[in-house]
Amino acid sequence: MECVVQGIIETQHVEALQILLQGLCGVPKDRVRVHEFCLKSGPNLGVVPSEVRLLCDLAQPTPTWTVRHAGGAMRGAGAEQLSVLVRSVVESKVSNNALRFFYAVGYKLDHELLKIGFAFRFQRVVPITVTVTSANRMPRLHAIDDAVPLTPGIQLVEITAPAAGDNYNEVAAAVSSFCEYLVPLLHLSKPGVSTGIVPTAAAAASSLLSNSGGKAI
Amino acid sequence: MNVGGAVAAAQGPVPSPAVEAVAPPHVERLNPVVEQQLHLESVKIRALALYKAVSHILEDLDAFARSNSTIKWRDALGQFSMVSMQLFNIVEDIKNVSKAFVIFPRNINAENATVLPVMLSSKLFPEMEAEDIAKREQLLYGISGHPVHIQIEKLKARIDMIGAACEAAETVISDCRKTYGLGSHPGSTVVPTLDKVQAAKIQEQENLLRAAVNLGEGLRIPFDQRQLPTSLPSHLADVLSFGDGAQNLADNSGSCEKNTPAFSSTREVLQMLQTPGGQLIARSVPSPSNATAFDNPSTPPMAYANSPRSDPNIMNTPSPQQQAQRQQQQRQKIMQLTHQQQLLLQQQLRQSSITGVLGQRSISQLHDITGQTQQKLQQIAGQHQMSYSHPMLQQQFQNGQLQTSHMSYNILQNQINQGGQHRNNINQLGSSSNALFSAAQASPNSQMIASMSASMQSQSRLPRMQFGLTGGHLQRNHPSQVFNDQMFGMSPSNPVNMLAMQQQQQGGFRNMSTNAHDLQPGMVNLPNTIQNPNFPQQQQNQQ
Repeated sequence: MECVVQGIIETQHVEALQILLQGLCGVPKDRVRVHEFCLKSGPNLGVVPSEVRLLCDLAQPTPTWTVRHAGGAMRGAGAEQLSVLVRSVVESKVSNNALRFFYAVGYKLDHELLKIGFAFRFQRVVPITVTVTSANRMPRLHAIDDAVPLTPGIQLVEITAPAAGDNYNEVAAAVSSFCEYLVPLLHLSKPGVSTGIVPTAAAAASSLLSNSGGKAI
Repeated sequence: MNVGGAVAAAQGPVPSPAVEAVAPPHVERLNPVVEQQLHLESVKIRALALYKAVSHILEDLDAFARSNSTIKWRDALGQFSMVSMQLFNIVEDIKNVSKAFVIFPRNINAENATVLPVMLSSKLFPEMEAEDIAKREQLLYGISGHPVHIQIEKLKARIDMIGAACEAAETVISDCRKTYGLGSHPGSTVVPTLDKVQAAKIQEQENLLRAAVNLGEGLRIPFDQRQLPTSLPSHLADVLSFGDGAQNLADNSGSCEKNTPAFSSTREVLQMLQTPGGQLIARSVPSPSNATAFDNPSTPPMAYANSPRSDPNIMNTPSPQQQAQRQQQQRQKIMQLTHQQQLLLQQQLRQSSITGVLGQRSISQLHDITGQTQQKLQQIAGQHQMSYSHPMLQQQFQNGQLQTSHMSYNILQNQINQGGQHRNNINQLGSSSNALFSAAQASPNSQMIASMSASMQSQSRLPRMQFGLTGGHLQRNHPSQVFNDQMFGMSPSNPVNMLAMQQQQQGGFRNMSTNAHDLQPGMVNLPNTIQNPNFPQQQQNQQ
């Protein structure tokens, strides 16, 4: 399971966000360049189509593949009170034959996406990952070099933390409290809930950028 | 360090230098677990960062003061809030540190000689003591004569009143903030209005982005545009291969990854091969992505090396649709063989024919083949085996981790020359099977076969069991089935071999050989069938 929130930020403020995150997390940022394949199951695999995502991490010297299945979100009164989305997730490293394997099993490529950005992975009560990426689409199949940003002016910020069935409340609280630190720059909410941008983000960003002159981390 | 001093003053006897003293260069190291928990490195980094930030701010203020220009208070307050937030975090972390350790001085030297007595003393300075007494009197004025518990109650009541007053003050302040728009406090609910048009644009972009990332809206390429590009990115080059022949060929010559070229070429070639009457095909799962065909059902199936069968209908007949598909694809692939490949095939044909015709019945061995079968398949294709009815046993190369070097594949190929010549192409890939191959070529006899079978058995027991793991590729399933059939269908003349083979079989596949001639079974292994079922299928649809 994981707790996840998403938000958007204008591309011009991404650098300020990076500085803020660096100050909060204390770890260096990781580059993110992920080619994401979203595979949908064919009719031979059941009445209800299922979706599986294959992530190819291109930032490493040798591309590494991960298979990921995100289940439905937790529902109920308790879930609605949480400010984060809790959903079941299965993730695993796989070899590069995974794509072929899924095609052979009967999955079809539904869409693909290229995510370019950076991420911070740190520990604050729970391991938290903050990813800031721009989603790029490919005009032709698998044409990574021709990828263009879907929304040039806006990038996606995603904060996830792994959770278990018995501690998701604490994890949700930890993620929420961390999100409080990012309020000057962006609003975060459950995926699917639209938030808009923070109008005062420009001021916060400028102060962060000017502040960075003294920091040489 | 200024900040350290400030923290020390605020925290009492736990200054931040204590952090650095605890995080040694000392003789003793901290317990690594504790060290990890305390995140001392990160605290140190943050403390340094904070120090730099504060010094930067001080410099700015200095500059302002000297230049006499007005300070931008908004920015300055923003910076200050950042700094205070960071300071707060560091202080929190230091509290954790202080709880774990007790600091005491070991040596007295010139540095701490003057300070130590003060720090260690529990009695306050006289002035501080007097101050303390005065405050205490003020606090307990009027109730000092009462018993202790009443004093406690009264003090508690006072504390509650003060707390209530603070809360009221906070609400008043926040209300004033709202009304006057002083929303610099984090979490304030004041939202300065954006330009409506701009806000709408941003909203639209946001919806687009969220829908794309979460649901895939706007990223789907319509079917007719979904053609694999001629040059795949590097991480996909060895994962995907092209569905159609021409592109396959072009790609094969270029990329020679360990599996890719074999797959694409083998697939093509295999399409030209014929499983006995196409009957084996029926047993595989008919998958829509099946782009490879085995047999031209019109040609009689090939007899296996040691088990000539006269009954062509041992296996279930595949659906005519599948057969038609396969024939079509076979022909396509053959057409598309490059000249180079044909030459190569011819060369190999010559070589194999030199080795002579192996004993027909005696060599139904499955030679373990590791690696690529590209050459063999080209060979097969070059011989235009469309006209032959050789059962091509195709053993699927298993994906990923399952296929390791110890896995071996058998490629035996029987070719039925309509003129009556028997040619046996035994293709072996891999060093492990070279001995077998040479042995088989030299003088196949039952003993040889037995020994070879035994060795093969030991080698390839596992791989042979792993058929069709790659899924619903018809191509893959067929070879495995064909293979299994061959195994089971050993002629009675080689009982040993049969036994060995059978032991290695997965299940009840039966041999198929309808050719009256004694022919050796041909098995072609597909080490890798890289085939994207999506696209060929779509292409088929377009056809």
